[in-house]
Amino acid sequence: MTTFFYNDAEYIVEPSGYNIRRVMPDGSTSFIGANLFPTLTASEAEAKAQALVKSIQPVGIKVVGPDISRPNMIGDLKIIGPDITRPNFIYWDKDSTSFSKTS
Amino acid sequence: MKMKDSVAIITGGGNGIGESVAKYLVQNGAKVAIVDMAQKNIDRVVGEIKAMGGEVIGVQANVTSEADTAKFIKATLDAFGKLNIVVACAGIIRDATMLSIDKDTGKVTRKMGLDKWQPVIDINLTGTFLTLRDGAEAMVNGGWEGLLVPISSVNKAGQIGQLNYSSTKVADALMPKIIVGEFQMRGIHNIRCVGIAPGYTATPMLTGMNQEILKGLLHDVQIGRLVQPEEVAALIGHCIENGAIDATTIEITGGLCYDHGIAK
Repeated sequence: MTTFFYNDAEYIVEPSGYNIRRVMPDGSTSFIGANLFPTLTASEAEAKAQALVKSIQPVGIKVVGPDISRPNMIGDLKIIGPDITRPNFIYWDKDSTSFSKTS
Repeated sequence: MKMKDSVAIITGGGNGIGESVAKYLVQNGAKVAIVDMAQKNIDRVVGEIKAMGGEVIGVQANVTSEADTAKFIKATLDAFGKLNIVVACAGIIRDATMLSIDKDTGKVTRKMGLDKWQPVIDINLTGTFLTLRDGAEAMVNGGWEGLLVPISSVNKAGQIGQLNYSSTKVADALMPKIIVGEFQMRGIHNIRCVGIAPGYTATPMLTGMNQEILKGLLHDVQIGRLVQPEEVAALIGHCIENGAIDATTIEITGGLCYDHGIAK
């Protein structure tokens, strides 16, 4: 079993079948994947595991999406839903590892 | 197309029909990506598929977000190297009549708000669109044979109390006609699209409801019971392997009827 840290979180890679788990703040673990990369060597599988973690848990992006708790108001009309004036991407200080920074 | 060694994305894969589809595909040799909003559900289903010996990833994502959709498509390609099957199971209900009328005054006392309308449209319709669109994009660019599966509902026929839900499900049912027509127009011949429209299915949404109301619903089902999620999964499995099924939406209802025996 190996572990690596990425974006302030610890990830566990179990060589037997290459299960990948994320260690949660309370110490429990959450699945990223299971029984992956059965035909790869250990080093190849670990590199693939790290790439997969970065895809699933990208740094620097928070997705907001339609927000029913914060409707737009037009007079008395509540407009809830995708709002192109309020983008889905909120960029933090770091660039995303998975998506190019465009704004 | 063979299920064995194919790669599938199942949105809403953390419970109900999506969970059953994922497990059915794994039992038949496919590799699967479980996409769900609830990490708890992902952990349970991924753990159970791991115990089955299946190859699986779990991605927490919101299907109404383009960023999240890109994320789970990329993660699937990173993990398994290709994509063949996309089943858009993620869906919700927020039932209400459009208007409520005061019996005494005859005046409107309440109307369906956007808080009940918009989330259903966003998840059931926009979410299905984004999932199928980006899944198809990956298949076309990768050159992989594929099947796109929007999940409709028998209530596409129009169910009172479900103006929001029925509107999305009739649109989902229509998608295979348009998508396949566009594929034909663009010279894409190795990707099919087949919708599935279940009737009353034994998902937590239904089995957890008032049992008296459930009994009343079953009165209208010819086989006298709920459709099992595994039966819906088996139908999707058949659609994967039967390459002639295309550009249509198939109902699986157990013979759901209107009153007086007219099949819905």
